[in-house]
Amino acid sequence: MKSPTLVLSALLAALLPATPALADLADLSRDINVPLVEGREYMVVPNHPNQLNVLDLAENKVLKTCSLPDAFGPGSVQISPDHRIAYILNNRFFGLYGIELDTCKVTFSAQMSQNEEERAISVLSIAVSPDGKELYTIQNPTRLHPDHYEVLQSRLAVYDTRSGLDAKPVRTFPVPRQLSLMQAANDGSLYVLGQDVLKINPATGEHEVALPLLNWKRPGYGVPDVLSAWAAQRPSREFAALYTAPKFKDDKQDMESADFVWGVLSIDLKTGETEVVDFAPLTEIYFTGTRSPKDRNHIFTVLNGLRKYDIKEQKLLASANVDHAYYQVSTSLDGSRVYLSGTLQDVAVYEADTLKKITSITLPGGDMALCTAQVFVR
Amino acid sequence: MKHLKALNQKAQLLERAVAEDKVEEVVAMSTVAGCTATVDPGWEVDAFGGVAGLCQPMEADLYGCADPCWWPAQVPDTIINYPDWNKDAPSADKDWRKLDSVFPKDAL
Repeated sequence: MKSPTLVLSALLAALLPATPALADLADLSRDINVPLVEGREYMVVPNHPNQLNVLDLAENKVLKTCSLPDAFGPGSVQISPDHRIAYILNNRFFGLYGIELDTCKVTFSAQMSQNEEERAISVLSIAVSPDGKELYTIQNPTRLHPDHYEVLQSRLAVYDTRSGLDAKPVRTFPVPRQLSLMQAANDGSLYVLGQDVLKINPATGEHEVALPLLNWKRPGYGVPDVLSAWAAQRPSREFAALYTAPKFKDDKQDMESADFVWGVLSIDLKTGETEVVDFAPLTEIYFTGTRSPKDRNHIFTVLNGLRKYDIKEQKLLASANVDHAYYQVSTSLDGSRVYLSGTLQDVAVYEADTLKKITSITLPGGDMALCTAQVFVR
Repeated sequence: MKHLKALNQKAQLLERAVAEDKVEEVVAMSTVAGCTATVDPGWEVDAFGGVAGLCQPMEADLYGCADPCWWPAQVPDTIINYPDWNKDAPSADKDWRKLDSVFPKDAL
């Protein structure tokens, strides 16, 4: 005999043949006003079509899904220091938004373009000050003339997070071009990834090279390559990205005989100390890596597979197959779990010690694509 | 081809490929098959010259590359010119049949 639930499900399915799957309908019905619980661990990650998901990591489920204003992309998120607001670079790189996580309410918005003549975007660049009072972005404006475009000076724009909707910058400063990811240090400085890692004083606009990359003079190494689109906020307060670089056999610096290596560059946002360290030969491609909160000598990496390395020993400790490529690897704050996000529609959960898969959390809607996931405890 | 002169390294490689009858190896693919490590349309290979390092499957990488115009030659520019290209297809994996070609509109 069929159960009433099954009959009802079949009836609903028959009545709604052209609508989203029932699971999606259930997801959309979640209460967006359910507050986050103090002491509980969450992940925030946006996805297509244009929404922000809050995941309860104790139960491995979607707690709520907030609709976002304007248009989607790239979905680069930074969480406020009190873990109440998710700031997101969105609207096809043209806008910044602040979303109150307890209510899904939009508390802040700003557009990059400052007048009718210019078109300004930010390339994955968003950071919030350690006191939560200021929001930072690098804007790249172009002036639209009737017959040609004129590339204008890139600028650091500083916003007051209490400015509400349609906010205007309270300060702007000229900065070099090609700046992208950034995070704010405990002393208020901004560390920004570009050709080199810059340290910018957001009060004065003064900047200096904190960690040379394109211009590094690392003996025995060629120029590194860094691909990073995900500024993860880690409990260790570490701003990190992976690099690859040729390691030469001798002073001839022959690229043909060079070994190519993976390494991780990091800035300690508590102290400003920087570190560059190799951890593996370049045998496959990774998009992100993150060190274990349990043991900083261990690093997890991901793209078409999930790996765990011992950095000092440069040894592969564990490896796991994944259902599909994922861009971003994160860990729980205690380091016991690993989360894979980005690309398609599911967040995969693994045991950190064994890399055994626990589950997948399917998001309502569509792809995460290039979005940033952030893990935090309220 | 005798009236064309290769000006950059890629064009020189193409010229050499023609001479070695390997032109099929460098002709741009007609479909998106994975991610390139740089904005380098037509060369859908990974850092090792193969395809194993490309995102798998390619649908996993489609919007991650389309949203930031990483594949400017292969998929429409959704930032400026074709913002609605995938508005009815939030999931590349499930909705790829709804994605279509786009064509520039006539200038006013």
